[in-house]
Amino acid sequence: MKTEADYYALFEAYRTGGLTAPERADLERRLAADPNFAQNFADFTQLTSTLHGYGERLATRRKLHAIQADMDAEQAVRLDGETLETGHPTMPQLYISPVERKLREFWGAHRATAMVAASVAVMAVFATLLGLEWWRAAQQQPSLYGYTVLRREVERIKRTQKAMNRAINQIDGGKTEIETNPGKFSGTGFALTADGYLVTSYHVIQGADSLLIESRDRQRYRAEPVFTDVAHDLAILRIKDQKFNGFGRLPYSFKRGTADLGEKVFTLGYPREDVVFGEGSLSARSGFEGDTAFYQISIPVNPGNSGGPLLDDRGNLIGIISGRQMDMQSAAFATKSSYLMRLVDSLSAAGTAQPYNMPRTNQMSGTTRRQQIRKLQDYVFVVKVYE
Amino acid sequence: MGKGSPSYTDEEFVAAIRHGDDRALAQLYRLHLPMVLHYVLQNSGTEDEAKDVYQEGVMVFYEKVREGSLELSCQIKTYLYAVCRRLWLKRLAEKTRFGGRLDDHEPYLETGAEADLALAEERDKRFATMSEALELVGEPCRSLLEGFYLLDKSMQQLTAEFGYTNADNAKNQKYKCLVRLKKLFFAHYKEEESF
Repeated sequence: MKTEADYYALFEAYRTGGLTAPERADLERRLAADPNFAQNFADFTQLTSTLHGYGERLATRRKLHAIQADMDAEQAVRLDGETLETGHPTMPQLYISPVERKLREFWGAHRATAMVAASVAVMAVFATLLGLEWWRAAQQQPSLYGYTVLRREVERIKRTQKAMNRAINQIDGGKTEIETNPGKFSGTGFALTADGYLVTSYHVIQGADSLLIESRDRQRYRAEPVFTDVAHDLAILRIKDQKFNGFGRLPYSFKRGTADLGEKVFTLGYPREDVVFGEGSLSARSGFEGDTAFYQISIPVNPGNSGGPLLDDRGNLIGIISGRQMDMQSAAFATKSSYLMRLVDSLSAAGTAQPYNMPRTNQMSGTTRRQQIRKLQDYVFVVKVYE
Repeated sequence: MGKGSPSYTDEEFVAAIRHGDDRALAQLYRLHLPMVLHYVLQNSGTEDEAKDVYQEGVMVFYEKVREGSLELSCQIKTYLYAVCRRLWLKRLAEKTRFGGRLDDHEPYLETGAEADLALAEERDKRFATMSEALELVGEPCRSLLEGFYLLDKSMQQLTAEFGYTNADNAKNQKYKCLVRLKKLFFAHYKEEESF
């Protein structure tokens, strides 16, 4: 019995042609007849051919490495600048410092990542900015588009200005003024009765923690809301200070009916630190989007005018300044006094602690505008709101 | 770019390399290296990686030519470009997650390189198995087989080198080694196939 090694000797002899003709014929016959033997032969063939191929592969690899090594060596020589005798024009060599090469490699490897990161960052920034802007816009105008209520935000600049003034006063006179919180918002209000009821707009005192009433002569009173009417933008306040002893007799009276179109009207208010007079005429008997609880008037009003009294030529109070329309020229709105009167009547009927003694006589009728204002200005106040 | 070396056309290159002309191979190697170098560097590779890839690519080409089974439907340059591009793509995919996209500065032509590469891969696997089997077969078998098959030494040379009394002894030893190698090789090869 022959071993496998013996067969391999036979196969190799067959491959290299070292067999005699009869031996060869015998082998070929066996290969055809015996599938196991044929498989054996096929394995041998694959094994030797793989070995040869592997040998060649190694040889080729050596060759290529040698070529590459040659080229590298040549390049090194060329870089040394010693042998430049080749007749071939060499490509201009761009010298790149190791640091720059590192940077280039880094950039090459991480370019895609960096770009993705950068675009995500940019998008996040813009999304945040837009989101904030949108959120703030939503906060500022919660209800009506194009309609702006006129309560004044007391700006920082005013505060700093006041602080500066105080500092100057201190330097000049050495007199210290009491540090006052100027409040977050301010509007205007006016006396409803002689014994301490006031009227202003609801939106002025909206969200208020505490209210402070300040008269023209810098007299300050604490006040509290007694009743609010959101629909008609009205609020009734009462002064709760102990030392308060009445406004004195009110010079104006309240009109129960509606005023006529074209009526000359005027108002006093505190859009600034000082009282401001505004004059115009009654231009429509309905307000924003046809709201019949309001008048439209042609008085230029500003934030801070809200809650101010609207009077006609004869000194009758006909409305309370409420807001204006942004996209219309000098279109302001004022709540009709008839709604205020109806509110006061219903409160009186409900029987509150203190009765409402409404003024019945009008001292302003027939006087000039200047006299009217002089009488009126002591009954118009700044309403300061703290949140 | 060596001095005084003749310049070849594509057909002459193929013919010369088939007849084992190493100078033609060297010339070809030098001719197309810059292209692949540039390509790999452009696509987040280093110079060494480029050289590696290029040698692999030339190897595929060279072995096809030596086998005589190369059917060149385009320029050698295009063929090499396609092969190296594929190889680099594969390496990148192994290396990084963002390897999928490459910017091409030459149109990728239908070169038949894909099929050749599949064959080359198959062969690579076989060679890797063989190399493993040779590692495992142990001395002196390994040196004997390597000497005979890989380094093309004659039986007489090997007899002298290994101190056998005569060539027949050496031959017998060689066949025994071959049988061992066969067992190792096919065991591994089949194993890999079954994956």
